[in-house]
This record gives sequence, structure tokens and C-alpha cells, in this order.
Amino acid sequence: MADEDLQHAQVPADKPRIGVDEWVAREEELRLDQGLLGPVRLFVARVPWWTLLLGAAVGGVLIGAIVDDEYFLQVGFDTLIYVLLALGLNVVVGWAGLLDLGYVVFLGVGAYGFAWLSSGHFDIHLSAFASVPIIVAGTALVGLVIGLTSWRLLGDYLAIVTLFVLQIFITWGNNGDDINIPFVDDPVNLTNGANGIHPVDSFDLIIWKAETVKDYYFLALGVALILLAALYLLNESRTGRAWRALREDALAANVLSMPVNRLKLLAFVFGAAIGGLSGTVFAASQNSVFPADFNLQKLILIYAMVILGGAGSLPGVVVGAIVINVSDRLLTTPENARLIFYGGIIIALLALVPRRRWGPYWVAGIAAGTVAFGFAVRAVVGVFWPNGVDGTLPGEGSLTNALSHWVLVPTDPFDIGRYAYVLLVALVVSLTFIHGIWRRLLVAPLIYLAACVWENVLVAEPATTRLILLGALLVALMNLRPEGLFGTARVEVV
Amino acid sequence: MDWATFVQLCVNGLTLGSVYALLALGYSMVYGVLKLLNFAHGDVFMIGAFVGYGILTSFGGSLNLSISVWLVIVLMMGGAMIGCGFLGVLIERVAYRPLRAAPRIAPLISALGVSFFLANSAQLLFGAASKSYDTFGLVPPEDGIHWRNLNIWWIQVLVIGSAFLFMAFLTWLVQRTKIGKAMRAVSFDREAAAMMGIDPDRVIVYTFFIGSALAGAAGVLIGLVLFQAFPYMGFNYGLQAFTAAVVGGIGYIPGAMFGGLLIGFVQSFSQYYFTTWFQLVSLSLLVAVMLIRPSGLFGKATLEKV
Amino acid sequence: MLQLRGLSLAFGGLSVLQDLEIVVNKGEIVSVIGPNGAGKTTLFNVITGLYKPDAGEILFDDQNIAGMSPDRINKLGIARTFQTLRLFLNMSVKENVMAVQYGRTRSGPLRSMLRTPGMRREEREINRRAEERLAFFGERLMGYRWDQPAYSLSYANRRRLEIARATATQPKLLLLDEPAAGMNPTETQEITGLIGQLREEGGYTILVIEHDMHVVEGISDRVVALDHGVKIAEGSFEQVATDERVIEAYLGLRTADTK
Repeated sequence: MADEDLQHAQVPADKPRIGVDEWVAREEELRLDQGLLGPVRLFVARVPWWTLLLGAAVGGVLIGAIVDDEYFLQVGFDTLIYVLLALGLNVVVGWAGLLDLGYVVFLGVGAYGFAWLSSGHFDIHLSAFASVPIIVAGTALVGLVIGLTSWRLLGDYLAIVTLFVLQIFITWGNNGDDINIPFVDDPVNLTNGANGIHPVDSFDLIIWKAETVKDYYFLALGVALILLAALYLLNESRTGRAWRALREDALAANVLSMPVNRLKLLAFVFGAAIGGLSGTVFAASQNSVFPADFNLQKLILIYAMVILGGAGSLPGVVVGAIVINVSDRLLTTPENARLIFYGGIIIALLALVPRRRWGPYWVAGIAAGTVAFGFAVRAVVGVFWPNGVDGTLPGEGSLTNALSHWVLVPTDPFDIGRYAYVLLVALVVSLTFIHGIWRRLLVAPLIYLAACVWENVLVAEPATTRLILLGALLVALMNLRPEGLFGTARVEVV
Repeated sequence: MDWATFVQLCVNGLTLGSVYALLALGYSMVYGVLKLLNFAHGDVFMIGAFVGYGILTSFGGSLNLSISVWLVIVLMMGGAMIGCGFLGVLIERVAYRPLRAAPRIAPLISALGVSFFLANSAQLLFGAASKSYDTFGLVPPEDGIHWRNLNIWWIQVLVIGSAFLFMAFLTWLVQRTKIGKAMRAVSFDREAAAMMGIDPDRVIVYTFFIGSALAGAAGVLIGLVLFQAFPYMGFNYGLQAFTAAVVGGIGYIPGAMFGGLLIGFVQSFSQYYFTTWFQLVSLSLLVAVMLIRPSGLFGKATLEKV
Repeated sequence: MLQLRGLSLAFGGLSVLQDLEIVVNKGEIVSVIGPNGAGKTTLFNVITGLYKPDAGEILFDDQNIAGMSPDRINKLGIARTFQTLRLFLNMSVKENVMAVQYGRTRSGPLRSMLRTPGMRREEREINRRAEERLAFFGERLMGYRWDQPAYSLSYANRRRLEIARATATQPKLLLLDEPAAGMNPTETQEITGLIGQLREEGGYTILVIEHDMHVVEGISDRVVALDHGVKIAEGSFEQVATDERVIEAYLGLRTADTK
């Protein structure tokens, strides 16, 4: 006892006492340094924020300078737009905890706003310098109105209302060419219906005008970097703290000086403004606005980005946007889609193995087992049912060739493919119930079945496949890691 | 508007409303026991419609039926109900149960994921084009009640009738049986119910089964009434049914029934006047009710104990 | 400073507060006691704006605050702690105490994003005040503890943080809801001293709900006893502790008779 007191007396009180407090003091390190991305998370947490931002800026500029291929620059630009949208959604969902299922509406309002003020539609050709602030303010106003409905609503009901608003917005986009306003003689054409508005002016900042894809890439990069800095500074201020507090315990926050409803509204409005800003750049880059640009699919894409990256974490959201959008692009061609599939399987296997040291060996073992299993099955099937291996796989290239010798390739994949898909889903679901040795035994056949289904059925329908994967990703993330890649696991009082 | 149109709109409203009521019941019941808005419910409804279609085709389709029309309809509904019931239970087990202790937003996102997964899987399996029930082939509209201005087609009678039958059954179940009492107990206070010897997990499974079975039935019924099933139908109908459940007072079963009928009428009439903008009317109704009576028209305001 | 006049509240058919008349004078420490279900926490909830009373007035510095929004009431000078702790668990200890200073500061989002000198000055002030409030509890919530998430704190430390947080809103009146709940005798004694210290050093007027009679005895200038929403006794600790109605409320009629 006396020794302990002596020790306590000697160590300065603001340092953790060895053996007693040290483990608590290292809490953050212990919490972050887990799994594959542990070191990355620690790095992100420890490096000062402006260093990270600078690094991102340098990286972004380098990419823009080196790459000349228009396709890649376009992908880069799209990714940056998604980064903006994900940042905006993060304010609403990640910081204030409001489930807004109509977020894409703000993108749309911004885009149509730009189309009204800077195109031939109403023959107003304001430079972006003038039109963007007006549009951002206008979108913020729309956000204010929608957000006012959350004044009295629980988080759940806000989801329904915002989903409705999205549906109505899409209807408006498609039917806005023929609106009858009382007391006005002719019907008003606001949106040109499904044909959209085009051409739309380029982004004209008077001193500089964006014309090429590369210009737009750098424009989006600039906007994204400024926004990242602004949002970081906002988060580390009384507003950010209040948002976090209201997400933790809105009632306690309210009683302790924070006007909860006003803060929620503020978050909503901020998210709306960011969406509107993204909309202007988006419309300008496309030189057009179509109602088909704004739909549920886009919304779920943005949600996946925020959730995967980690709701509430700025670097996480950026990473999430990049990963999801790039993967989405890769899924459009069969050759690239395979990268996503097989790469994804390997990552999933590595991530699910708790111990870092043996992980790679274990994964290699599974891979070898699956390959062997596949060849065996194919050999057997080839004997009894030749039609099962005579077909051709979509796509070209050496990988495709190799795979067509491993996977079952029926001559007519349509019918059997559908049954195989259902079987696959059933198997995956039942695997969540089975534990122990059976689970381990079933992994290799499961992967082989998944590969067969992927090669024959899913690769051929990229538009639907990506949404299936997104849906499955969301469910899996919520089950396995709700805080995403860079978020922090939250402690909740039930 | 003349009398005949008015009556027709009412009939349509009643038919549509009955389907919405069935769908809204599922939302309401699940919210009652789990405090979760089950976004995937609309897609279970969609699967029900497809199952019905599948059964119809397997008996030869509307033009070539190997058995009597009414028998095939019963089989369609039965098959859809059982299939969807189990689907609902499966969804709960995989996507919601592991998230019981997670923050509120987690099951909502999971539900969203399941919804997209189901809708697009259906699109993958069945194609994006809608499948026709060809109800005119099954039961011609001349077969029905035609008396003065009132024109109700037998199919509509079937839809309205079966919906009300289900609702009556559900009311009896919830008010008079032990399992119903257990459901009400769990929706009040899950922990207390557990301490009283009720297994909340089992009750939740039953709730999902019943709710999803009703959704499956609703799917077949709407297929019969509106002739078609397509993969993304879950979203739109689901949204309207959601509104119905919320307007009626979520977690409160008679409220869901009333809300469904109300939304059916609202949609029927607003589609006549506003065609494409009818959703705006439903939304306005929703927002109005939410702002004036947040717990719905019939819901009971629950006070949070601080 | 605080005057409750004819305060009544009912939930449905159940009357939780009935025609309450309570006065708290500046600089006093008043304890509210009563068996469970007496309406003590509800009383706090009504004063802090979480419930709107059906009838009656709550006069704080001669201003009727009944029905005002909670954050406005806090800005007028009333802060509270919760019986079941309601810390911002995923935020750090220091952030908990910084966040609640929202009402006393003014830098909007724009000024925060631009980091104006005014905003930076406010941030320094918020920081300083947070450290000062935490220092009140000695070394326990200082140093490396500042950056620890609140969920890593022990139960007693959480209670202390809850109080530190409440005082950071610069209240005139402090409502402590069972501050000694769940504490061992040593900690209880410490809390008793602490409450007195809050009055001496902080100048707060304090209204305390407490079950532990040792604490009540040690801190109170006056004691108010409630039962089923009705005030049944008021006075010094000795007066209330021996009051027949109070004993009956806690221990039943026969004990009251035998006493």
C-alpha cells in the first residue's frame, strides 16, 4: 500500500500512472489499431489535419496534371462530385444523425437552378460567379422548408417525408414542362420534362472559364478541398460540438443550453447548400440537366459511400466516395468487374480473420482449396452434363480465358443461372446461422458457387448487379462494422 | 363531377385502400414491436405479387387455366402469404436481429439495403419489364355488380372482401388471443414483457410472419386489381402504405387500417384531379398530420420517461 | 430566486404534481425528499422545461418560465444533472464540458469556418472554463483524462463530470438529481462536502433531490418532502425527519403511529 502511494505521489498527476491508468490512456490507440486498416487509422488520427488536407491536395493536383485521358479525368471528376455529395450527406447523417432519404433533391435543385440562371432556357446567362451564390442560397432555403418538417418529427418519420420529396421532385423534373399556374395564361415550362435542359453554360468565373474535362476536374478538386477545410473547421467549433452532443443525447443537450431543433435545421440547411453547390458544378460539366440524373440509385450510392467510409468522419467519407465510385465504374466492363469480385472476396476473407499474422496464409489456403474444388466440380459436371461447360463467358482477355476453364459455363446460362443465384443467396444467409466446422467447410464451395453465378449471370447485368451489391454491402456493413472504415465504434445506452 | 364518376372513384379508392390497409398493417405491427420502419416491407409485397404471378403461370396462365379461376386465386394468395411470411422472418433474422443493440440508424440503413437488394434481385431474376396478371382474362369486368351508377367488378369485391376479412382476423388475433396480447405487451415494453415470461424474439418472429404474409396477400391482390407486377413497385406502394400507417398512428392497428383506406381514397381522387401530382397530395396530408398530431390521427402519444 | 406557485401536472388521469408551492432563496441549499414516485424528478423536469405544467407558475427571478424551451431556461440560469446519467458518452471528457457552453457563446458557423479572432477568443475562453470546471474535482478529471471518451470513466467520475458539465453553463440555480446515487460511503461523504463547496466557491443556489439522509442532513438549509405530488412537510432537517406524515409516507402508517 505504501509503495503505491509513494508511486502516486511521485508521478505528476496529469500523466497516466504506469500499470494503473496507462491502459486507459492508451484507449484510443488500442481502439483504432485493429485489423488491416489499423495503422492507417492511427496515422489519420495522429497527423495534423492540414497535413492530411495538403497531402490530398498534392495527390489530387498530381493526378490532374499527369493524366490526360479524358475518360479517366471524367471518372476523377465524377468521384470528386460524389465526394462533395458525401460530405454534404455526412453533415446531415453523420454529424446530426438525421436520416435524410431525399438528399439527391438538393443536387437536383442546384442543377436546375444553374440551368435556369446560366443557360438558354430562360435566356439568362449569369456567370457562375453570380449564379452560384444565388443557387446555393436557394437550395439552402429549400432545405430549410423541408427541414422544418423535422421540427416535430422523430428521425424515422423524416426518412419517409424526405423519400416522398424525392419522388415528387422526380415527378416534377419529368413533368415540369407543362405546369398550370392559376392566373397565368400559358403553362410554364420549368424543367423541359424528360428531355431536360440543354445546353447549359459552362462554369464561368469571369477570370477563368471551365471548358475541358481537365478544367472541370480541377474546379471540382478546388471546391472539394475548400469544403473539406471549411467542414473540418466547423466541426471543431461550438457548432460541431453541439451537433455531436445532439446526436449523443438530444434531450440532455437541450436542457444544457443547446437549441436542438435549430441545430438540426442548421445541419439540414448546410447539407442542402453543399448539395446545391455540387449541383451547379455538375450541371455545368454536363452542359445539361436531365431528370434521370436524380434518382434513388444515386441516393443509395451516396449513402453507401458515407456508411462505408464512416459516418461522421471526414477522411472516411472521402475514402468511401473514392472506393465506391471507382468500384462502380469498374463494374461496367466484365474484365474490370472481375477485379472487383475476386479482389472483394480476398479482402473480405482477410478482414474476417482476426489475427493479422496468420491471416494471409489462411486466405491462401482457402483460395487454393476453392480452386481445387472448382476444377473437381467442373470435371465431374463435364462428364455428366456437357452443356454445363460448353458456353462462353462475357468479356475477353487472359483472365476471362483462364476463368472459363475453372468456372461452370452453361451454354444457356439464363435459367440455371437464376436458380443458382437463389441458391447462392440461400447459402450465404444460412452461413450466418451455421458455426464451427461446417461453416469452414462450406466456405470454399460457397466461393465457387458465387464465382459461377458472378461470371454467368451478374457480370452481364452491371446496372442491376451494382445495386444488388450496394444493398448487400449496406446490410453487411451494419452487421459487421456499422462505424465503417474510419468511423469510431459508438457506445450507446439502450 | 357527375355521380357516376364519383361512385367509381369511391369504389377504386376502397379497393386501393384495402390493399394499402393490408400493407400498412405490416409496417405498423413491426414498428410497434421493434420501433423500426421496415423499408423492406414494400419489397416483400412486391415478391408476393411475383409469387402470385408465378403460381398463375404454372397453372397455365390466365388464358389456359387448368383449374378454376377462384381456386387459382386462392392458391396464389396462399402461396404468396406463406412465401412472404417466411421471407419476412428470414429478413428479420439476418438484417434486423443482430442490430437490436445498435444505434437507431443502423437497422434503418440495413432495411434500406435489404430493400435495394430485393428489388434488384427481382429485376435480375425476372427482368425489369412488368409481368401482367391479365386479370381481364381471368375475370372479365362485366362479371360483377352493375346496379345503376354502381359498377363493382367481382375482382374488386374479392379484394375488398379479403382485405376486410384479414383485418377482422388480425383484430381478433391481437385482441383475443394470447399471442396478440404478447404482441401488445412487447410493443409497450420489451424488457418488462420478457420479465413476465414472454419471449420477445418469438413474438417478433410471429409479428414479422403475419405482417409479411399480409403483405404477400396485398401483393397478389394489387396484381389482380392493377394487372401488373414489376420489380420496383415496392417503393411506390410502400411509400403510400407508410404514409397510411403513420397518418393512422403508427404502432396502432386500427389506425393502420383507417390510414390505408384514407390514403386509398385520397389517391383515387387526387389521381383524377392531379394525375401525376397526386403524390404531392399524399405528402401534404402526411406533413399536415405530422405537424398537428405527431402521433397520428389515432395514435396515442407516448411520453418518454426522463 | 425560484418560486413555484400552484404548480400542477397530470399525465392522463394520473396526477403527478398537485398545487405545489415551493420557495428557494438565493444562496440556499434545499433538499427535496420523498419516496419513489413522489414526483421529484418530474418536478425537475417541469422546472427545466421538459414538461409544460397544466397549471401554476414557475417564477425564476420574478420571471415565469413555465413552458419555455429547455435551452432558453438554461440560458436564464438553471442547470441540472440527471438521476440516470446522461453524459455525451462518445465525446471526450473535456468536450462534454465544452459542448454545453454553446448557450453562452455566439460564434456562428461562418465565423467558425473563417476562424475569426472573435471566434478564437471564444474558443480559448471555452477551453479555459472547461479546465476550470473540471479542476474543481481535484486531479481526477485532469491531465490525460481530458481527452478520454466519457464512457471510459468510472461511475463516480461520471457523476462528477455530470456536475462539472452542469456548472459549465454558468447557472445561478443548480438542480442536482440524486448526486450521491450509487456511491460508496467515502464517495458520499466527498459529495456532501462538494455540494457545500459548490455553494461557497461557486455561489450557486442548489436544489437537491436525494434519498441518502446522511447527505440531506449534511447539506440542507431546508428540506421539502413530497409524496404523490403533494408537499407534505417543509422545514429544517430535524423538523421534517420527525414529521409524522413524512414517516408515514416512507415507512407506512403503523410505523408512524408507533413513532
